[in-house]
Amino acid sequence: MQTTNEYNRKRYRLGLWFVAPAVFVLLIVLAYPIFASLVLSFLRVRFAGQGLSFEFNGLNNYADLLRKDLFREALFRSVYYTVIEVVSVIVLALLVALMLNHPLGRSAFYRVVLLVPWALAPVANAVLWKWIYNANYGILNQALRGLGAIEENIIWLGKPWLALNMILVADIWKAVPFIALLILAGLQNIPSYLYKAARLDGANAWQQFVHITLPGIKTTFVISIVLQSIWALKVFDLIYVLTKGSPADSTVLLNYLSWRETFSNLDIGYGAAIANVLFALMLMLALVYIRALRPRQPQAQGG
Amino acid sequence: MATLELININKKFGDFTAVNDINLRVEEGEFVTLLGPSGCGKSTLLNMTAGLEDVTSGEIHINGEKVNHLGPFERDVAMVFQNYALYPHMTVEENIGFSLRLRKRPKNEIQDKVRKVAEMLELDKFMHRLPRELSGGQQQRVAIGRAVIREPSIFLFDEPFSNLDAALRLKTRGEIKELHQRLGVTSIFVTHDQEEALSLSDRIAVLRLGQLEQFGTPEDVYSRPASKYVARFIGTPQMDIFAGSFVNADGLHFQIGEAGIPLPVSFKIPDTAVDVGIRAEFVTLGSKGFDSAIRLVQPVGPFTYVTVDWQGGCVTARVNGVSHMKPKETIKVEIDPEGLLFFDRITEKRMDLQ
Amino acid sequence: MPIIQRFLTRFFIRFGLITFMLLALGPVIWAVVTSLLPLSSLTSHPIDLNPANVTVENYILVFASSRGLVSGLINSLIIATFTSAVGLVIGSMAAYALARLNMPNSSRILMMILATQMFPGIVIVIPLFLVMSRTGLVDTHFGLIIVYLSFILPIVIWILKGFFESVPMELERAAAVDGASPFQTFRYIVLPISLPPLFATGVFAFIEAWNEFFFAIILTRIHVKTASIAIAEFSGQYQTLYGQMLASAVLASIPVVALAIIFRRFILEGFVEGAIKA
Repeated sequence: MQTTNEYNRKRYRLGLWFVAPAVFVLLIVLAYPIFASLVLSFLRVRFAGQGLSFEFNGLNNYADLLRKDLFREALFRSVYYTVIEVVSVIVLALLVALMLNHPLGRSAFYRVVLLVPWALAPVANAVLWKWIYNANYGILNQALRGLGAIEENIIWLGKPWLALNMILVADIWKAVPFIALLILAGLQNIPSYLYKAARLDGANAWQQFVHITLPGIKTTFVISIVLQSIWALKVFDLIYVLTKGSPADSTVLLNYLSWRETFSNLDIGYGAAIANVLFALMLMLALVYIRALRPRQPQAQGG
Repeated sequence: MATLELININKKFGDFTAVNDINLRVEEGEFVTLLGPSGCGKSTLLNMTAGLEDVTSGEIHINGEKVNHLGPFERDVAMVFQNYALYPHMTVEENIGFSLRLRKRPKNEIQDKVRKVAEMLELDKFMHRLPRELSGGQQQRVAIGRAVIREPSIFLFDEPFSNLDAALRLKTRGEIKELHQRLGVTSIFVTHDQEEALSLSDRIAVLRLGQLEQFGTPEDVYSRPASKYVARFIGTPQMDIFAGSFVNADGLHFQIGEAGIPLPVSFKIPDTAVDVGIRAEFVTLGSKGFDSAIRLVQPVGPFTYVTVDWQGGCVTARVNGVSHMKPKETIKVEIDPEGLLFFDRITEKRMDLQ
Repeated sequence: MPIIQRFLTRFFIRFGLITFMLLALGPVIWAVVTSLLPLSSLTSHPIDLNPANVTVENYILVFASSRGLVSGLINSLIIATFTSAVGLVIGSMAAYALARLNMPNSSRILMMILATQMFPGIVIVIPLFLVMSRTGLVDTHFGLIIVYLSFILPIVIWILKGFFESVPMELERAAAVDGASPFQTFRYIVLPISLPPLFATGVFAFIEAWNEFFFAIILTRIHVKTASIAIAEFSGQYQTLYGQMLASAVLASIPVVALAIIFRRFILEGFVEGAIKA
């Protein structure tokens, strides 16, 4: 019975035309490869003459994952890396955001300061830290020696756990600003009358923080944690520039391992299997993000 | 100029029924107001008339022709929106002339027409200003100008005064009424302000929860409301309603608590329970009637509304000029039987008994 | 007592702000300063910071030498410009359709688009690499631009959809009543009043595309190496040319840092807020 009038029909038709190009591009560069990657992970891919040969390999690539120590170590290190990074970034970012939300820190200048590490090209960031960590001439060694904290130069990127932690420091430095901006935006969305009301009710600074600030930025917090976890799992450029996985593969994380297996060792099916594990981890995090963002029950329109 | 007919119009948003089986016929040149509180479906009805929203079922006829399938422009309607909806990046001149430019009319024709409309609305001095450089009243006039230049067969107004302050609202109200008198274009006006509706309309459609409660002249809806709902929605102060019963002793009376209001002999006594509504202008405070305590004194300029405790409820009287009565004082209350409105207690419909 | 407490709070916050500033800007300033010193100053103990030694020779060298930075910058410019331009055109159309043109399931489509943000690049790049090497798209501008759209488009759609939704519905209805077709409404009303956010979204996309490294290292060989690749290779091959290494890092960062600062208002208000509000 319902007829759609000319205008609304045109709107609908225009809508289809308008989403078509984006959908087309995303199908090609996202949907197809995601599907293909799943297929690849069940194949053994070999170089045959000029081209590639594909042969069904069952779950062998995944079985390989379980068998190989390097994968297990990389998985463990990735989890370690992600946990440390997320915790550090969130804590530091919250501190920065609180300071910048204080009347003393409201100046626009501080926000510009935050944008600098964020906008910096990641490779430039890596090069910058490579220079800072330089064993012979790096400012880190020179400063620590100047302060008398160390006697011998430390080869920051030369020892297994130390190297990974130094990469973490460089990554955290670059990641804090964006999360701080997110939390700051969350803080500023808390209406100021809530604080006024709390003060009238006699709440002290700590009580205000616990009962107003923290609940007010809960969603922002969840989103920050998820986004930061995803970014931490993807880390690549820092490893590539700073250590290339050395020493003794101690800085090989999942993303880097998958890349190396695929594009250096040319074990494409195995690389794809690692990629899919990473994908599964991130998908779980993505679901959390979507849940956090999902709007409350929409209200009926009318009036 | 055109007639507009809404036939069995329904609109559902999912499970929610916004408009429920509405029938309405607007005559040529008539000014009709859709009146009701927010959520009553009046704006949805207007949007469906405009062609901005589709009806779920029912037919819309303009000039006797079904227009359900037509878009807003083909229906030849023009609309003035709640927040003016002026194009912020266009000057006054461009805003008013936008519809003509879309139709690719010759430049000088557009210019002439825009100038004429702007002069009529006293906007000719602001032609090259952007909307944000205008006052609220001026923006409102640009919005009207944009509608007028179209020379549409129907004007639609969607609560156009809601963003204006009280003084400007009155002024613009007058301007719209004058405009209608001058152009005589069929107009549909949506508002939740009953005073606006009473002062502007030839006829008023009172809506409640998506249903048409009453469709009549301002006098009809004020003096002969179809239901308790309409009676309470229209008129300031709100009508007071009491339960009571008919008593035939010493002549026919309507008994509210201890007060008996005499009724004429010709009165038809119904066989259902009734409530009675009393408007403030039919309540007299003075030396006759029942002793009552004054509760509230609200001067509004030409009148003072005095609310008194009366028969277990409250009744408000309209007193001319400034009253010097004080709360807690005692005064006698008399009700004019001519002004009583009787409602069926169950169906809440008004009953014609006098 | 409260006065002392107040004083202490302010003292700690000031102290915290200064520490934060030093930590945030220190490494960057250090990189800029040392990029302006000759190698001999950098390799002396302690580093010779004598302002008299300041020189732009590192910058001249990275430009003069055939180490790929110049062509890298040009490639980055081409790729980032086209990616953001194409992303903006396609993305704004899709965003408008999702925001305003009654697309069925638009909220679900949007969630899917958002979720794509979270796919690790490695998952899509392996199959893409195989397809592109067969079709000759590896090491071409076109190939890289298409792949970059995979992460640029979702961002653009997400940001602009939020903006288009804030355009008052009444404006579009007014245009419809004035006789504008849906396309004309988009073209003459929605686009003109959205120019600032459109432009700023473009800038944002430009920064993201410019900074990209992971896809670039896999999908480029010789011809379309981006600035990031050039720097990474340089830092691997000429480990000890610290000054030049830093100079090229600074050069590659100047455009994006400058854009971020110029358009900070939008990035702070538009994008950051957009990420936490659905």
